[in-house]
Amino acid sequence: MNLLVQFLPELYAALILAITALVARLASYVVGRGMRQSAPQVAAGARRLGAVIVWLIGGIFAIQEVGINSDILLLVIALAGVAVLVALREQLENFGAKYFTDIYSPYKVGDSIRVREFSGKVIEINATSTVLITGDDQLVSIPNSIFMTEVLVNTSPQAWKELTVPFTLGSGVDLPLFESELLKRLGKLRLRLDRRYPPVLALKSRSAQGTELTLTIMIRRPEERDALSAEVVKRVGETIQRFQLPRPKPVEAKPEAAPPPAKAPAAPPAKASE
Amino acid sequence: MRSGAGAKASELAVCINTQTPLVLFLITPQKLELMPPLDAESGLTGLVEGVDYRFSPGGVTRMVFPLVQRLLSSGVLESAHWISLNPTAPPTLTFSGVTLHNLALDPARLASYARTKEAIWGTVHGLPDTDLDEELFWSVDFTDYAYYNRITAERMRTLDQQHDFDLFYVHDFQQLPVGQMLNTLKPKVFRWHIPFEEEQIPEAWKPVLSTYFDSYDMVVVSTDRYLAALKAFGHSGAARRIYPYVDPGEYTAPPQEEVRRTCARLQVEPQDDVLLVVGRMDPMKGQDRAIRALAELLREHPRLKLVLVGNGSFSGSGKGLGLSKSASWRAHLEGVAEERGVRSRVVFTGHLPQRELDCFYERCSILLLPSLREGFGLVVVEGWLHHKPVIVTQRAGVAELIKEGSNGVLFDPDEPGELVVKMSKLLQDEGLRRRLGRQGFTTAKQCSLDAASEAEGRLFAEVVGA
Repeated sequence: MNLLVQFLPELYAALILAITALVARLASYVVGRGMRQSAPQVAAGARRLGAVIVWLIGGIFAIQEVGINSDILLLVIALAGVAVLVALREQLENFGAKYFTDIYSPYKVGDSIRVREFSGKVIEINATSTVLITGDDQLVSIPNSIFMTEVLVNTSPQAWKELTVPFTLGSGVDLPLFESELLKRLGKLRLRLDRRYPPVLALKSRSAQGTELTLTIMIRRPEERDALSAEVVKRVGETIQRFQLPRPKPVEAKPEAAPPPAKAPAAPPAKASE
Repeated sequence: MRSGAGAKASELAVCINTQTPLVLFLITPQKLELMPPLDAESGLTGLVEGVDYRFSPGGVTRMVFPLVQRLLSSGVLESAHWISLNPTAPPTLTFSGVTLHNLALDPARLASYARTKEAIWGTVHGLPDTDLDEELFWSVDFTDYAYYNRITAERMRTLDQQHDFDLFYVHDFQQLPVGQMLNTLKPKVFRWHIPFEEEQIPEAWKPVLSTYFDSYDMVVVSTDRYLAALKAFGHSGAARRIYPYVDPGEYTAPPQEEVRRTCARLQVEPQDDVLLVVGRMDPMKGQDRAIRALAELLREHPRLKLVLVGNGSFSGSGKGLGLSKSASWRAHLEGVAEERGVRSRVVFTGHLPQRELDCFYERCSILLLPSLREGFGLVVVEGWLHHKPVIVTQRAGVAELIKEGSNGVLFDPDEPGELVVKMSKLLQDEGLRRRLGRQGFTTAKQCSLDAASEAEGRLFAEVVGA
């Protein structure tokens, strides 16, 4: 009994961490549901952020419970954060820019672009820079942050028509079934799309965590680009959600019963490079 | 590649993909379940050809399989895995050193996949469905066409992880999207077997087809004309022409007694002059034109008998895609023969095993290819190997090998009168028939397995960089 009393704070801390884990998952799910209309990658980022905040709060409570002064810890974390921000300011700018250019910049690997005095074909977009090959076979590496502040011209033919939506499917998802379903959903938008170019789903990479894919569609009218981008992203997100949530079991009495939202989608971060 | 790079590719591990499987199972799935499992080890052991299974009619059995066998035996290939659509077959089995992987689709998806590929086939063969021109790639049916191609690509990818292939070899239009779906840096070769004529391809399809073609490292077509059309279409990637081929060693003349017996069994009498048409029961094959020509020719050549050999293809068979056009086309042809009063002079043999088909090649006076459009027309090569004179539609790929009056006779399928006149002339001139047959036999060497395996071996070496 004494032993139990002696370790009661630690037990409380463990309990808090367990509750934190549950709340983090719940927060991730709630944020994901709330951001269904957003680009899949933005929604995935927000879900992760929600979970991290919950873990931070839960962690601090747990630390206080075992008697450690969390004020000093908070101070150390804050100072470390500031130091990292100062030391890596430029790299972080590029990382951040990469995040936003992934989502909002109108170019992708394979496109011909012009930015500042550089022009060429994009052969790589990495975490910190975009690599071009110029007309005279030179490699030019442009920091991603430049794309946030400079005028970019995409000189690829029909570049304005192309919408790409990169996203990740959880490893358990049946890709052929998913593609078939997605094509059906996108087919309903065909009046708004250039019908000579049906949607193309390209597989980029595959790992134990999931399958990286890029959906490409071609729009008909430039003025509908924004609206179509949002609609396509929404349809991709809905299809991902449908395939990544546990399927409802066939129940005799209630075949329409909604699936329990037990698991958050495995890995649906995506980008809409629009 | 297992050995060092040299002038020729050697010991390549290849993954082949055709829609049509090499082996069709006639045995019911229920009966198959009662047998010892057919797997990669046991192959077809214990099954009887013609009773439990048969080889698919057409190019897969006559071309692709002999080519793979030849390349395996000559050391160009080290191993071959072959993926096909074969809903009633076990998932995997080995046959003659080739591992066959069979894919299945549920009946609903199979039906809509078949409708899509049939629409593409019809359009490319000059039977456009104008309602579908713009809509095809957006139709619900197309999602199942994409589904089938995606499961093919996924299976190829899984097998690649296990076997580390050197090369992917994808056959024909049904599987064209596989190259794009495969997502591999390894070499991919695509063989287009059907006609390729730019004017037959709807404008709305061109960007899609272009994208698909561009996903391959090499595109192979069957004739110089198709190669020129592919370039005119805008394909800037590597492309080659390799004539379709057969193994001449497989085409020996059966003894006369066997020929007589086989023909008698199928109502062909010794006094009959046989006009032979070999092709599946399909409106595109133009057998109706042959029947109409027969009706005209019988006045001057009363001993003439038209023998139509062939049944459904994989697409038309119940074991395959279940499209019913072969049965309805045969009924139509029987109606045409009745209507023209020549029913007793037309024999429908259905599908014949190669040995019996050889008997009819030996027995015929003329081989006719009356198709409205034909990717190539290997039956003409088969006729040549039997030293037979051939009359061939101008719209067959093989027409580019024919020098009028030297190794064959060409006709315009839209001019039925021309066919009758040319046939009549040929029937009256035995010397001309002999000369055409002799010269045709020489021409057939361009379409031999030897020539093709040499060309394919060089092509493989080129794409794998050996």
